[in-house]
Amino acid sequence: MNAVRKAVAKGWLKLPGKLKSKLWWLALPLSLFVISESGAYLRLQTFIRLHQTPQLNVPNGWPAPHYDFADNRVTPAGFELGRRLFYDPILSRDNTMACGSCHQQFAAFAHLDHRISHGIGGVNGKRNAPGLFNLAWQPNFMWDGAVHNLELQPIAPIENPIEMDEKIVHVIEKLNTDRRYPAQFRAAFGSNGIDTQRVFRALTQFMGTMVSSDSRYDQYLAGNQSFSAAEKHGLQVFREHCASCHQEPLFTDYSFRNNGLDRSPPDRGRADVTHAAADEGTFRVPSLRNIELTAPYMHDGRYATLEQVLDHYINGVQPSATLDPLLAKGIQLDAAERSDLLQFLKTLTDETFVNDPRFAETDE
Amino acid sequence: MSPSKRADEAQGFYTGNQRIAGAFLAAALTVSLLSGCKFFKSGPETFSARLEISPVVGDQPFQLDDGSGAVSYRTASGDQFSATRLRYYLSNFRLRRADGSFYQAPLDAKSSEGYFLVDVAVPASQTFKFIDAPAGDYSGVEFLVGVDDARNSAGVQTGALDPARGMFWTWRTGYIFLSLEGQSPQSSAPQHALTFHVGGGGKDSLARQVYLPVGETPLHVRANIEPLIHLHMDVAALFHAAHDIRLAETNTVMDSAQGAVIADNAASMFRIDHIHNEPRKASHAP
Ligand code: HEC
Ligand code: HEC
Repeated sequence: MNAVRKAVAKGWLKLPGKLKSKLWWLALPLSLFVISESGAYLRLQTFIRLHQTPQLNVPNGWPAPHYDFADNRVTPAGFELGRRLFYDPILSRDNTMACGSCHQQFAAFAHLDHRISHGIGGVNGKRNAPGLFNLAWQPNFMWDGAVHNLELQPIAPIENPIEMDEKIVHVIEKLNTDRRYPAQFRAAFGSNGIDTQRVFRALTQFMGTMVSSDSRYDQYLAGNQSFSAAEKHGLQVFREHCASCHQEPLFTDYSFRNNGLDRSPPDRGRADVTHAAADEGTFRVPSLRNIELTAPYMHDGRYATLEQVLDHYINGVQPSATLDPLLAKGIQLDAAERSDLLQFLKTLTDETFVNDPRFAETDE
Repeated sequence: MSPSKRADEAQGFYTGNQRIAGAFLAAALTVSLLSGCKFFKSGPETFSARLEISPVVGDQPFQLDDGSGAVSYRTASGDQFSATRLRYYLSNFRLRRADGSFYQAPLDAKSSEGYFLVDVAVPASQTFKFIDAPAGDYSGVEFLVGVDDARNSAGVQTGALDPARGMFWTWRTGYIFLSLEGQSPQSSAPQHALTFHVGGGGKDSLARQVYLPVGETPLHVRANIEPLIHLHMDVAALFHAAHDIRLAETNTVMDSAQGAVIADNAASMFRIDHIHNEPRKASHAP
């Protein structure tokens, strides 16, 4: 309105006298409409936000991400393609198993109730499917860190005989004969053609932008929500006993350690990759974000509940040559510390993330 | 949001983007056309040199077996072997100048040009243009058997380095630099199988550098001469060049400790049989 008035005053905008006086009458209903509809405006904003393609935004106080999207710019078409691929069993040999079969959104993309994930034909693997979030910050993947580039991670499940048991070459053939994929790939990458790079980069656009940073803990740190006395105390206990490995804000320092599960570890863990004696039975420190949702716990899913995990740290730590020195004496917690710690761990659940419709299952 | 609406949006994004891409393409085309002229080129003009590789065992030609064991050879220690598959990567080619310095063609992180996947089953893969170098006389050639560390740990690649080529580990990140599969009656593995998958990056990378002097006559890289290096790759060297390998003990190699032994041997498989300084074919003239 002001701009119009200014323009008129300066003589840039010549309005007939009659209209000039009517213009002021227009202003009143217009502003009334805006005020009464601000609810609708907010709803519209939320709608737009929810359907916007996620980008990798670095939350306040977080370190720089490890994966660089500069060569794989996230676009709406690329992200949606990655999302469809993630939920499409076409990536498996007999078209029965999708990435999403073992990585479920309501479980923060872990595999609920599955100690170790079984793949095609119900064949069991040996490790528990971890939750998938904040992957762009992760320097390496898998419990033993065998994979060190997010883009190249999907080859492992696709070609693993006990997971999807498929060949990339064949996946690409299948995608090429699909009714919609060729056009989706063209939309995402600007030219015709489907190859490994495009399949994996699209998956990376989807997985790499799954950021979980809106738990009650984050809201508390940002000063938007309060913690109960127990939760505050739990955070203190956590910082004293757990944070040296499960480091804030990602709740892991991405190192490989032995937290004393076994006297003689049956799974060599990191040593599978490095062949170093010092790495026998060490595994990547997992993030504890969304920990309430990602049961069962540990690399082999041996614990069904967080209670059992705490029992392990308090009473069950097993000595071995590679046991982390920080756990040499276990972790001493009294009853109050233990129950408050448990309450704190539950503040790491990110409802926004697990309900974000942008990451939900789709076959579009 | 309805599916069709979302598809429309994606489409809209695409066409908008395409228009911009089109403009860029036109600009890029103009620039590359201009730079095609000698006048605009920043570096010196370069000319290709070719490589041809013949697999041999000692002084006889090497052939792959069909799995029946009909085509077999003996190692220096007397073990018998046949191979149904033999594939390897060569990369990072450099030419040695008369003054001892090297010329290496610049690599482009976005393409796999300069990386060669040689498959003994595919004759076309055993002869290729390995470098574009400035005109000059070169006294030797250097290359990696394998993939350098930077590329071995980069994101997903295309072309010769496409993981779908089957030379990428599936359970860990990185390329298989050399893969030999076959059989040996001495092998204690099931079906007497022979499986060498050699590869691994990091500080103990299994990529091995090979330098081969070309001999008395240097390689003449010229506008009107396209030199050809004819290499012999001695498969038997894989079993005894640097380390003696007995197939009863060493028949299944996947990890980096055993892989290092094979990698050392692989570095000694190559020798220059002869070179040609041939007139460049008309189609290659600038
Ligand atoms: C059969 C179940 C199963 C399927 C199908 C599956 N995964 Fe997994 N995923 C797992 C398991 C189990 C692990 C942990 C493996 C390990 O550490 O050895 C894992 C690990 C991962 C990780 C590494 C997470 C971390 O924190 O290190 C990513 C990323 C991942 N999967 C993505 C995918 C994608 C993408 C697909 C589809 C192409 C897929 N997964 C299909 C079970 C599965
Ligand atoms: C010395 C480092 C270290 C300390 C201290 C430590 N952890 Fe862990 N934590 C680990 C490692 C390593 C693993 C993975 C072990 C495995 O699966 O083999 C793990 C796993 C877990 C898991 C299972 C996560 C999952 O996704 O399966 C939970 C829960 C957990 N820790 C909670 C805690 C709590 C609570 C504390 C403090 C009382 C604590 N940790 C202290 C290293 C540590």
